[in-house]
Amino acid sequence: MSANVSEDLILELRGITKIFPGVKALNNVQFKLRRGEVHALMGENGAGKSTFIKVITGVHAAEEGSMYLNGTEVHFKGPKDALAAGIAAVYQHPTIYPELTVTENIFMGHEFKKSGFIQWRAMNQEAKKLLDRLDADFKPTEEMGALSVAQQQMVEIAKALSTHAKIIILDEPTAALTANESEKLYRIVDQLKAEGVSIIFISHRMEDMYRLAERVTVFRDSQYIGTYDVDKITTPDLIKAMVGREITDMYPKPKVEIGKEIFRFENMSRMGYFKDVALNIRAGEIVGLTGLVGAGRTETIQAVCGIVKPDSGKVFVEGKEVTIRNPKDAMDAGIILLPEDRSKQGLILKWGLGDNVILPIQDKLAKGPFKVKNEKAEYALSKRLLEDVDTKAVTIFDGAGTLSGGNQQKVVVAKALAQDNMKVLIMDEPTKGVDVGAKAEIYAIMGDLAKQGFGILLISSEMSEILGMSDRIYTMCKGRVTGCVDITEATQEGLLELSMEKGKEAAE
Amino acid sequence: MAGKSGREINATPQNSLKKKILSWEGGLVLIFIGVLIFGSVVSPSYTFTNVLREMPKYLAELFMMFAMGFILVIGEIDISVGAIVCLSATLTCFINRAGAPMVVQVIACLLIGLACGCLNGIIATNFTELPTMIITLGTQIIFRGIAEVSMGSGGSIALTDTAGFAKIGGRIGPFPIAFFLIILTAVIYIFVLSRTTFGRKLYAVGSNKTAALYAGIPVQRIRWICMTLIGLMAGICALFMLATTFGANTTTGQGFEMDVIAMCVFGGIATTGGKGNLVGATLAGFTIVCLRIALGQLNMSGQTILVIIGILLIASALIPGISQSISNKKKRAAV
Repeated sequence: MSANVSEDLILELRGITKIFPGVKALNNVQFKLRRGEVHALMGENGAGKSTFIKVITGVHAAEEGSMYLNGTEVHFKGPKDALAAGIAAVYQHPTIYPELTVTENIFMGHEFKKSGFIQWRAMNQEAKKLLDRLDADFKPTEEMGALSVAQQQMVEIAKALSTHAKIIILDEPTAALTANESEKLYRIVDQLKAEGVSIIFISHRMEDMYRLAERVTVFRDSQYIGTYDVDKITTPDLIKAMVGREITDMYPKPKVEIGKEIFRFENMSRMGYFKDVALNIRAGEIVGLTGLVGAGRTETIQAVCGIVKPDSGKVFVEGKEVTIRNPKDAMDAGIILLPEDRSKQGLILKWGLGDNVILPIQDKLAKGPFKVKNEKAEYALSKRLLEDVDTKAVTIFDGAGTLSGGNQQKVVVAKALAQDNMKVLIMDEPTKGVDVGAKAEIYAIMGDLAKQGFGILLISSEMSEILGMSDRIYTMCKGRVTGCVDITEATQEGLLELSMEKGKEAAE
Repeated sequence: MAGKSGREINATPQNSLKKKILSWEGGLVLIFIGVLIFGSVVSPSYTFTNVLREMPKYLAELFMMFAMGFILVIGEIDISVGAIVCLSATLTCFINRAGAPMVVQVIACLLIGLACGCLNGIIATNFTELPTMIITLGTQIIFRGIAEVSMGSGGSIALTDTAGFAKIGGRIGPFPIAFFLIILTAVIYIFVLSRTTFGRKLYAVGSNKTAALYAGIPVQRIRWICMTLIGLMAGICALFMLATTFGANTTTGQGFEMDVIAMCVFGGIATTGGKGNLVGATLAGFTIVCLRIALGQLNMSGQTILVIIGILLIASALIPGISQSISNKKKRAAV
């Protein structure tokens, strides 16, 4: 927060206030970006980061405040103005056109034209140059939809470069990437920096910040909290700045007496997805399952929970075999799934929180032969559960879509907890896109459930949470289990190795 | 793990009278009254008894409207119902001509409808990648084709023994029997959709099929149930068609599917699924029936009436969007 006058600022925002109907999304915030620096913007979900980015890129107009680019005040009327001024953003969910080629996606809106005709060859050549600069492993003529998320993101970055952007904003760039892909992105950011591009990036991952940023600005509750030099602030201090309170223990893993086997599946196979997968969980145990994206973890679990049909496989709960033909069979057997994609699989975003929470158990609460909705019981139950998981909401009728990611995830947790016959809870990437405060709360719930004797399967790509919460860790690679390591013997390197090709060889 | 912050989440629903009156259904009541006033102003013969007397020929298709409400709520569509009515009516005529007892005729009429709907449902649940619009477009052609082939070159068929059907088309006091049945059907369907857990499952499927599946809802079975149900309702519709026309021809049931979809949309049910209710659709159905009778009494041709109803429909589809943008503007101005 130095008031250094000689600071070479490329972008500065002062006193920005943005009001949406009913809420102040940004309240008098400030931001300074030095030329050629990588600057992290952090804060909990709903802290106002995304809104702030949209103010910079001209998507939203701020009610108050001023913005200076290279020392002169600018007023952007829309994203086009920002692009013209050399500011480009790569969003978390890029707006891609999956049926079009990479070249078409890169030059969407600013195609090379000569007397009305599109100059395909020139565009493809330029696209190739941009992709080479990013060390991309795909061709400009490939169809966008066929690329991986990491590759699509690269196209988005190429798109930003194609406008000769001097400032590039990356909004949660690593959220959907594997460790390898993240590393590649880091190198791209390093290179852009070397070329003199200034970068702002938003991320919930501490690793990203430490690896890339020189300075970090923290927002909390729509307000500016401070700007810090990354090498001068400790992690607990930074978390305190983001959350507003101290988190003494990120992974509150309780001491639990581990009981008998509560859940097991074996011989799970589905052609082209996974083969001979077996796994067991004991009462009170938190079992981690990790692997690279595409290792078949989610697919296996979907088969276990009756979402898709496996070719073969047996599932046992408390030693007894259960037949699972559909998701309801799994739920009746006490196998509860917290799905990976909360907005598509976990919640009906248009609905109120209460209706979402009680949806899986409404029939049990219902009255009479016609299964009349028991609204009184539903309200009471959902109110209790939503309060238990500490959801930030005003009423149980609030739309699920209006909540931040972390709070949406809490609603999904409440929905799982509503099922009182639960024996095993399978959590598929439970903290993806969830801010640090809500993360700690979800871990606390997880630990609490283990203490109550439930079996928990934690599927995650995030090594720190796998190592922080699990008792035992399975690794998968290319549809096979490649290892099962006790927490006392687990290391990040060891797990990564098992998750990659080497592990696969070992399995064969 | 009680809430650390001790935050209280409110669980008291807010039912204000003002909200109810300002709702879409409230507006429909006004429109319905408006139509009745319009009718009695423009036509001296637009009296209570006359309207009821003319009602039966318009009432039959209302039966399908309720089931169509279910189908639209789950985000599907069925455009084969008009053809099911035609096939069911035609085949029942044959059974009638063969001299089967009335009970057999009634059951056959319903079962044929049910079977057609069941077929749609089986195709839809086994080939989930096919949109129901395409499936029912195909079966519509098949069903009507079978009816037309069996009617032969004349293109029509009549009942020989009309006594039983005349009874079905009869009345109790000034009210046609169909009227009572419609009210009963409406009560049942409205109850199921708004008060039961099954109704909520329909909204869940229509709002987000994937999330519904993950919540343990048998999405495919529900799709099958709804499509079979509308087949049965088409059978009932065919029964009451026969009770007013005493026969079937190649145009029987033509356009019914669009009529009932239009009534549902006019009643506030979104074709995208997950939104609307059958109270609105019922009001909209009766509004359109009463409007048709009024326009018919003005000796307006059927085609002109269709044009007017089409305009009404588009207007009704536009109003929610317009009122939304107005209220958004107000909100923005208020901040």
